[in-house]
Amino acid sequence: AARGLRRGRMALSWSLRGFAAGPQTHFGFQTVTEEERREKINRVFESVAKKYDVMNDSMTLGIHRLWKDVLVRTMNPSPGTLLLDVAGGTGDIAFRFINYVRAVRERQLQRKLKHHQNLSWQEIADSYQEDRSPLGDSQVVVCDINKEMLKVGKEKAQDLGYSEGLSWVLGNAEELPFDDDKFDVYTIAFGIRNVTRIDLALQEAYRVLKPGGRFLCLEFSQVTNPLLSRLYDLYSFQVIPVLGEVIAGDWKSYQYLVESIRQFPPQEELKEMIEDAGFFKVDYRNLNSGIVAIHSGFKL
Amino acid sequence: VRWRLSPPQHLLQASAVLRRVSDEQKKEPLASSSQHHFDSQPADQQHDQEPQDPHSSYTGQDGQESEDYESEEQLQQRILTAALEFVPEHGWTAEAIAEGAKTLGLSVAAAGMFQSDGSQLILHFVSQCNTKLSELLEQEQKRVELGEAEKKPTDQFLKDAVEARLRMVIPYIEKWPQAVSILLLPHNIPSSLSLLTSMIDDIWHYAGDQSTDINWYTRRAVLTGIYNTTELVMMQDSSPDFEDTWRFLENRVADAMKMGDTANQVQSTGEALVQGLMGAAVTVSNVKTSRAER
Repeated sequence: AARGLRRGRMALSWSLRGFAAGPQTHFGFQTVTEEERREKINRVFESVAKKYDVMNDSMTLGIHRLWKDVLVRTMNPSPGTLLLDVAGGTGDIAFRFINYVRAVRERQLQRKLKHHQNLSWQEIADSYQEDRSPLGDSQVVVCDINKEMLKVGKEKAQDLGYSEGLSWVLGNAEELPFDDDKFDVYTIAFGIRNVTRIDLALQEAYRVLKPGGRFLCLEFSQVTNPLLSRLYDLYSFQVIPVLGEVIAGDWKSYQYLVESIRQFPPQEELKEMIEDAGFFKVDYRNLNSGIVAIHSGFKL
Repeated sequence: VRWRLSPPQHLLQASAVLRRVSDEQKKEPLASSSQHHFDSQPADQQHDQEPQDPHSSYTGQDGQESEDYESEEQLQQRILTAALEFVPEHGWTAEAIAEGAKTLGLSVAAAGMFQSDGSQLILHFVSQCNTKLSELLEQEQKRVELGEAEKKPTDQFLKDAVEARLRMVIPYIEKWPQAVSILLLPHNIPSSLSLLTSMIDDIWHYAGDQSTDINWYTRRAVLTGIYNTTELVMMQDSSPDFEDTWRFLENRVADAMKMGDTANQVQSTGEALVQGLMGAAVTVSNVKTSRAER
C-alpha cells in the first residue's frame, strides 16, 4: 500500500539529484528530463488557467461538454458516493457530478413519498424533520497540482452556487495526500496526459480507491478512422495554436497541448498500463471515433 | 460506441477483493508464469496466508486464470445474488446492485461493472430460478426411482413443475412486470429466450419426453405458451395465494392434453379422407379405360 508513495518520492529525489542526468521524457515533441517536464507543465497551466474554459470551448467547438457529460453518465453515481476528481482544476467534472447526484436523490425522495400515500398528518410532519440531504451524503474532492487552476475552479463554484459537498485540495497525482481505501470513484479528465509518471498516478489511484471502487479516465486518444485522422491532424496543428494565440495570447502552450496528445499512449496501451496497476475489468470506449476515449477499471 | 473486453493478463497479481476459493488445496508450485505473482506482496487483510507458501494455482484450459482466487465472474455473481435482497425496494436497477455491493463490503461504484438497466440482475435471477427448478425435478426423479414416490401422470407433472417455477417469482412479484418488460428489449431477447427454452426443455426431459420427431417441437411450443400465459395471469392475480393462477394453469394443461388427442383424430380423419379420394380417382380412371376399351 505504501509502495506507491515510496516509489513516487524515490523518483522525485532521483531526478532532483541528477538534474542533467535525470530520466529523459517528452514535453510535446521535445525531449526533457522529468523535472524539467514537471516545471514546464506547471508554467503552461499557470498561464492558461484564466482562459482554460474559453479555450476548451473554442478548440473543441463546445463538444468537450458532451464528453464530460458522457463521463459522468458512465459513472452513474448513486447518492452517498465519494468522488476524487484529480487534475480537476476548474471543476467541470465535479459540478456535473453534483448535478447528477442531486437529480438522482430527488427521484429517490419522490419515490419514497409516493409509497407513503396513506400517512397521518403526524407522520407527514415527521418526514419533514428527518434528514433530507439534497446530495445524500455524496461528496467530491477536487485535487489539482496547480494553484491557479484551483483558484479559477473555486471562483467558478462560487459564481454557479456550488458549495455543499465540494472540497478543493492541492496535490500531485503521483503522490496523493490521501489515505488508502478512501474513495468510491477516481476520475481524471484530460489530466493524465500531463502527468509525468503515469504508472505512479495509476498506482496512487489504486491505493486511494476503496475495494470495489472505480477508476475512470477521460483523455484524448488515437483516432481510428484514417480519413478523420488526417482532418484531425490538420485541425490540431494548424488551427488550435492559432486560436491559442488569438484568444489566450499563448501559442506555445497550445502547441504543447496538441503535441502532448500525439505523445500519449493509444487506447490499448493505456488499458494495459491500467491493468498493470492492479485494476480489473478494464475497458475503454471511444468517443468520436477515438478523438477521446474513456477508460474504466475496478479495484477488485 | 463499443466496449471492448479482453481477459486481463495480470490475474496472478494479488487482488484486493477476489478471495481465495480454496484454502486447503495446496498444489505443487507452478511454472514460471507465476513468478510475477510471487514478487508482488499480498496487499490486504483478505489474503492472510503465509507469504512463503507459494500461491499455488493450477492453470485452467487457457493457462491464464488462476483458480485459486475467484474470478471476476464469480464475484459478479456474488454481488448480483446479494442485490436480489434489495429488489423489492429499489426494483431491478443499478441502485439495487449498488446496495448489494455494499453488503459485501464493496464500494457502491462496483455497480458500474453491470449494465445500468438492470438486465444482468434479472437474467441472473432467472438463471438461478431455472437451476433451482432443475434441482427440484432431479430430486423428485430420484425419489421416484428409489420408490419413495409415485410417478405422476404427465399433466400433473407439468402443472406442478410450472407452478413450482412460478412460485419462485412471488417474492418479487411487485417488480416482476418491470423485469418482464426489460427482458423483452431487443438486446436482451437472445439471452432471455435461451434461458426460457432451456427451462422448458428441462421440464419435458424430466417429464420423460423422448420424442425425436415433430412432437419435440410442438410439445415445447405448447408448454412455452402455457408458461408465458400463466406468468401474465399471475402478474395481475390478487386472489389469496394465487389460486386463480393455479386454476388457470390446470385448465391450460388439460386443454393441451386434449389437443394432443384431437390432433391424432384430425390426422387419422385426414388420412382416411385422402385414401377415399385416391380410391375415387382410381375408380374414375378405371371407368374411363374400360369405356375406351369398349
